[in-house]
Amino acid sequence: MADRYSFSLTTFSPSGKLVQIEYALNAVNQGVTALGIKATNGIVLATEKKSSSPLADPSSLSKISLITPNIGMVYSGMGPDYRVLVDRARKVSHTGYKRIYNEYPPTRILVQDVARVMQEATQSGGVRPYGVSLLIAGWDEGILPEEEEGSAKTEVVITGEDGEKKKVSGKTGGILKGGPMLYQVDPSGSYFPWKATAIGKSATTAKTFLEKRYAEGLELEDAVHIALLTLKETIEGEMNGETIEIGIVGPPADHLLGVEGVEGAKGPRFRKLTPQEIEDYLTNL
Amino acid sequence: MYADHSFREILLGITGKDFTLMAASKAAMRGATILKASDDKTRQLNKHTLMLYSGEAGDTVQFAEYIQANAQLYSMRNDSDLSPSALAHFVRGELAISLRSRKPYNVNLLLGGVDPITHKPSLYWLDYLASLASLPYAAHGYAQYYCLSILDKHHHPDITLGQGIKLLTMCIDELKRRLPVDFKGMTVKAVTKDGIVDIEFDDDKVVKSA
Amino acid sequence: MSSPFSINGGAAVAMVGKDCVAIACDLRLGLQALTVSNNFPKIFQYGDVFLGLTGLATDVSTVSDLFRYKVNMYRLREERDIAPRTFANLVSSSLYEKRFGPYFVSPVVAGLDPKTGVPFICGFDSIGCIDFAKDFIVSGTATEQLFGMCESLWEPDMSPDELFETISQSLLNAVDRDALSGWGAHVYIIEKDKVTKRLLKGRQD
Repeated sequence: MADRYSFSLTTFSPSGKLVQIEYALNAVNQGVTALGIKATNGIVLATEKKSSSPLADPSSLSKISLITPNIGMVYSGMGPDYRVLVDRARKVSHTGYKRIYNEYPPTRILVQDVARVMQEATQSGGVRPYGVSLLIAGWDEGILPEEEEGSAKTEVVITGEDGEKKKVSGKTGGILKGGPMLYQVDPSGSYFPWKATAIGKSATTAKTFLEKRYAEGLELEDAVHIALLTLKETIEGEMNGETIEIGIVGPPADHLLGVEGVEGAKGPRFRKLTPQEIEDYLTNL
Repeated sequence: MYADHSFREILLGITGKDFTLMAASKAAMRGATILKASDDKTRQLNKHTLMLYSGEAGDTVQFAEYIQANAQLYSMRNDSDLSPSALAHFVRGELAISLRSRKPYNVNLLLGGVDPITHKPSLYWLDYLASLASLPYAAHGYAQYYCLSILDKHHHPDITLGQGIKLLTMCIDELKRRLPVDFKGMTVKAVTKDGIVDIEFDDDKVVKSA
Repeated sequence: MSSPFSINGGAAVAMVGKDCVAIACDLRLGLQALTVSNNFPKIFQYGDVFLGLTGLATDVSTVSDLFRYKVNMYRLREERDIAPRTFANLVSSSLYEKRFGPYFVSPVVAGLDPKTGVPFICGFDSIGCIDFAKDFIVSGTATEQLFGMCESLWEPDMSPDELFETISQSLLNAVDRDALSGWGAHVYIIEKDKVTKRLLKGRQD
């Protein structure tokens, strides 16, 4: 019985398009805006947390998810589809990587695994594509020796507002060097690396805004600031700690480890900001 | 039970300057009985690769012809032959898969060849466990204990075919002298760059025991 | 008598020095007491990581081929070489996958951490239990002899040259007291930007 409908529902139109995928993208483009900005020392993911009723309990709703201790994810589109992908991403990062190598996958590998899941839904029998686009942010350790201070070839020096000189490295990451990584994954299974981007209803507006505000050599604090400003441009409801969700990839958060004094133990780099932390950023906006 | 007769079967291989000389005993045995005195324990895999086999009756021919068929299929599909090295590794792979199956093949092999491009002679030793070794000269069964020491002393990598046959004769004479059962003479073949040639070998020569 | 681990014979050893590691193996392939080949290396190089395999010869070949495949696929997927510690965990999980029908091998891994340059060695049992060591790892039919040699010759912070002498003497003298190992040796000295492979003739009897 099951195989009676196991032909592909996603088939080419005569013009060479896969309209099911375009419909999925339409679902994404009606979704709540989500954005990500890469900084030199981290990444910020942000989105609006819209509840359908004033009676809903906002603290129980979560749109930004931890996948591995160093990788987080946010979406725009259909919430239920997203939850399935979060489960698959968490599962595959263990079965396909940690249980083999005893370490978590680099961001690109995780992104490719999730992208494969989404691509398979465009070519398999009896299924529809996922109605979400994802932003996946992570930090990779890299395998090249740490560069010595001042030896970086791509180094740029910019002068801060307070006249203090900041050292800036032109590139953030690369799988050999490590560092922050930000990817977008679409329902078709295609994925793109970004310095900063947005998905969802107001993606175009948000991206135009980000193009204006993004600067090479941003630091995480600046990135959070810009993320909130961008969100403010597009947001429909009120902005406060309850209605905004922020996830950051930053320095290892050893306080989240639960233990102290374990040699070599490193806290997770990905964590979600508490409503209180978000409020603090908003007051300084 | 089978180990007993497979150890009495003789497989020999000797490489030289531009050839690989291969020899296999002619006796087909079952327990204490010799069933046949003209058994052929060789299969040609392609123009310049020859395989000798010994082991459990049934397994041997079955496995050898499976390999032969695959080698010939490759040659037909690709209009070119697999090199002796490629064949040896293919055979090892098949034997290794078989080793961990419900009923493994009990086959020992020698694979002799001359590379079609470099004209380098080669000889591969494979046992039923799928252990693979590339050697200048090799043997299987009890023949190893008698022949390897002779070859250790007298073999050189650049010997001519004539010298190779002389060396082979020394080995077979020793086997006739020392082995308790008549192995009914040897099938002898030489692999050269021009293909595989049968070598006339005097099976009727009588060697006195020590 | 006919344990799969001692049919073919063979020995391998890895050692840590100052900013360098060494790994070495004998070259014998035998069938019980009979020596079939004196050119059967048991060390395999995968990028900057080295794997020594002793035990059943067929599994030495099968397992070395398997890891060549896995490491090549890793390199294509990740666009980088595998690190020794990552490789060690791959060896462990791959061997444990065959928990109830194991490969009869005792692997040894050696390399330098690509990020820090810190020496890394470890050994395994045939089902993948890792033995991390700060000094040396031994494996094969000459383990007892190798333990004795390494225990008496090894000292901390040896230079590459001292390390070569130590590992070579340890292996050579160990295999001379083992009927199933010997017949020459391969020795690798691994430094940050240099790998030296030496072929030791050894006793041919």
